[in-house]
Amino acid sequence: MNNNRRKLTQLLDADFMARLDSMDVLSKKILHGKMQGQRRSKRRGQSVEFADHRPYVAGDDLRFVDWNIYARLEQLFLKLFMEEQDLTVHIAVDVSGSVGYGEPAKSTFILKLAAALGYVSLVNNNRLTMSSFNLGIVNQLKYMRGRNYLPNIAEFLLDAEFEGMTDFDNVCKQIAATQSGTGIMIILSDFFFKEGYESAMRRIIGRGYDLYAIQVLSPQEFDPEMTGDLKLLDIEDSDVAEVTISNALIKHYKKNLSAYCAQLQDYCVRRGSSYVLAKSSDSVEMLVLNYLRKINLLR
Amino acid sequence: MNWISPLTALYAGAVTVPLLLLLYFLKLKRQESVVPSTLLWKRAVQDLQVNAPFQRLRRNILLLLQMLMLLAILAALAGPVMSLHSLKVERYVLLIDNSASMNADDVEPTRLGYAKEQATIFVRSITEKSFMSFRNRPPQIMVITINDSAKVVCNFTSDTNQLVRTIEHIRAGDGRSSLGQGLALARAYCQSPDPEANNRSAEQAAQLVLFSDGCIQDLQNLKVSANELIFQAIGSSSDNVAITAMKARRSFENAQRIDVFVTLTNYNDTQVNTDLQLSINGDLKAVKNLVIDGKKIDALSKKVINGKVSVDFEVSSLEFGIIEAKLLRKDILAVDDTAWSIISAPRDVKTLLVTDNNVVLESALKACRQIKLFKCTHAEFSQMDSKAMEITRSYDVFVLDNHDGASVGRGTYLVFGKPPQETGIEVAGQSQNQLIVDYRAKHPVLNYVNMDNLFVGKCYDLKLPRDSEVLAEFDKGPAIGLIRRNNSTFITAGFDVMDSNWPFEPGFVLFVYNAVAFLAEEAGLVEKTEIQVAEPVSLLGLNADQEALFNGPGYKDEKIIVTKSGKLRLPVMERAGLYELKLPDADPKVYAVNLLDSEESDIAPKDQLSLVGQEIKASESTVKRFNMPIWPYIVAIVLLLVCAEWLVYNSKIRI
Repeated sequence: MNNNRRKLTQLLDADFMARLDSMDVLSKKILHGKMQGQRRSKRRGQSVEFADHRPYVAGDDLRFVDWNIYARLEQLFLKLFMEEQDLTVHIAVDVSGSVGYGEPAKSTFILKLAAALGYVSLVNNNRLTMSSFNLGIVNQLKYMRGRNYLPNIAEFLLDAEFEGMTDFDNVCKQIAATQSGTGIMIILSDFFFKEGYESAMRRIIGRGYDLYAIQVLSPQEFDPEMTGDLKLLDIEDSDVAEVTISNALIKHYKKNLSAYCAQLQDYCVRRGSSYVLAKSSDSVEMLVLNYLRKINLLR
Repeated sequence: MNWISPLTALYAGAVTVPLLLLLYFLKLKRQESVVPSTLLWKRAVQDLQVNAPFQRLRRNILLLLQMLMLLAILAALAGPVMSLHSLKVERYVLLIDNSASMNADDVEPTRLGYAKEQATIFVRSITEKSFMSFRNRPPQIMVITINDSAKVVCNFTSDTNQLVRTIEHIRAGDGRSSLGQGLALARAYCQSPDPEANNRSAEQAAQLVLFSDGCIQDLQNLKVSANELIFQAIGSSSDNVAITAMKARRSFENAQRIDVFVTLTNYNDTQVNTDLQLSINGDLKAVKNLVIDGKKIDALSKKVINGKVSVDFEVSSLEFGIIEAKLLRKDILAVDDTAWSIISAPRDVKTLLVTDNNVVLESALKACRQIKLFKCTHAEFSQMDSKAMEITRSYDVFVLDNHDGASVGRGTYLVFGKPPQETGIEVAGQSQNQLIVDYRAKHPVLNYVNMDNLFVGKCYDLKLPRDSEVLAEFDKGPAIGLIRRNNSTFITAGFDVMDSNWPFEPGFVLFVYNAVAFLAEEAGLVEKTEIQVAEPVSLLGLNADQEALFNGPGYKDEKIIVTKSGKLRLPVMERAGLYELKLPDADPKVYAVNLLDSEESDIAPKDQLSLVGQEIKASESTVKRFNMPIWPYIVAIVLLLVCAEWLVYNSKIRI
């Protein structure tokens, strides 16, 4: 355990991990799980929580016959209970070139957040899948469960290299094709996708995932510190935009950024998903311990 | 197609093209900056461009500088001119002296070159239009060149380029300078209204501006009104030694011997030592070292007397020759350092004396070695076929003694007695005891002939035709006349020599010699080949419509056509030197054109002009601009703005 923590401590400090130990991942939806677990599922199964009655049919297990009702009504009814199943958590980390930008870099923030969320998932015996993506899925750890996998996610995250362009639609297509079952999908990215994010996210939401879109931007993106006549180079595709920085242009940029973020949030909210906007200079601990609890991603 | 100001376009191109390139490079030099995505930036730029109907003027120092540059360039192209003075005169006449003395190189490049520069500055400063001017209309300028004669090279105009081009094309001549004609021309043009100038010429007197060294020969005959003439003096030195006279002729006694007389004049204050070189047809024949005194002021008359030396050379040649006398001392005026003379091969003048027995006349003719004398009586002469003699040119000159007025054929005649019918002279009667009251001593026929003591006992009263020349006059009428009629020339003396005391006078032999020589020249036997600059030369008796070629300074194979009447007028020979005329089927004729003018060679620049009863002082300074173009300063400002923009740009991209 100590070894695991030591490795993970490169991303999360010990106090933070201690506080994470008491937290768990929540889903707004009651989802099907793979194995019997600690979550309520839509299925009726074996648990202590009563769900409903139904008439007895031949072949039913006689242990679940409600004998009290038989005594009063002389009819056989079966007691149905809520079945508790495990929760699938899928964390998708954007490792494209744009995420490496910023001071402090967005990548640092995203890695810490992914580590924290992964940690919470594993310690609560949820099924965790962690993917990194740019043009497609670059790397993936599937179906991890239990603390034993903590070193794996640490290694996964620390080995991530932020480079290349993004094809978010392709990524979502791959996730939808390969992932069976539903669960929580947490996407950590700056969401600067030139081809758009709507159709891609529709694929995820359509599969029944409980989607959390966490958009991380750097302070320089919120408030650009540029002057003069500039040739702006896109870090991913080397696209060029020649601009002359002026107050009016900065004003328009900020307006566009706000509109872009608001549009993403609106898109998520309308589809029952959650949206979180974070600044890379903010504290990950504060985000996890306070804000994610408020929106019921964690408890 | 005319370019009004091609230089302006060149200057504008030289400024704007590099400027444009510079701006182009500035545009390329945007600083690169990496961003996570250009998505929002492009949208922002689009929004900025699309949303605003007019882009707001950004507070950009580079834009401000560029705007200032553009305004400055446009202002420079507009050619602003600042008027420094308010001009009161609307018409100017520039009199530019292009006589021989203006070839002196004591100022750069020559006096004429400097005068042209000054005149150009004057023209530009007067005529350049200004939007900051007090003037309603630009003044007009006329340009006249003065040398032997005045010539209007540009009539009144305000066109700067036309005036400048005209002044540039003024060429130097080697003639004398005479201001009188120039003043007359200027006044005539000023007084005649010019329709192109709204007939305003007569309203005001024009301002005359003379660009000259002041060496003008006819100043003592001129008068100008107060402030009519401004004198811009040109020149700074008077260092000159000149050949002021030269004559070469074959000896009367020995046709092989050629006597050359040369007079040198020193116009310097100090004595000079120089070599004089003589050559014939390019072969050096003699060199003489001469010491010439400097000029002095005569104690009595207070007149300046220049140092003079006359030298003579004696050379032998029986051939045609071009004799060149050359001063080897270098001074500021080269044109008077060389002189030429043409000497023809010796040839006798075939002269027929028609007399019954006039021994005096015969003796006088025999005294001239170059005359080959033939003799006949009047009766024999009347029997001769004049037409045949005319065609065969049996005799060059006829001398008719005591002629009875009978008709004669074509030819050149010296007639004593009653003039022939062909002269058109009417004989009104006869007079007795006549004295010569006046005669033209400078005419070649009467050269060195003293007629003061001539007394005639009996003579004819002649009535000469209007086109004839009177060479000597009795108190009652003409004594000797010169008449040209139908390709014939007559010198007629209306008396018999034997009725006068002339045979006892030494001048009689000279008269006979001069007359025969003059008639021989008229006959085309002895041609005049030594002429002065700009002296008109015509040849007579040539075949009509012949084409001749003329070469010399300023002429190269110039074609001249003989007129229907057999006359050939040579082009004006304005430069000193040797000229050659080639006629078909004839030997080339060479003409020596010399300055040989002691007054024109006196090139000491004058600081004032002494006219009749008035002195005109030279302007104290060189020509100053009336108008000052501002565009060069604006171009300088543009360059400063370019530098400023470059500095601002560099300081910005370092942030």
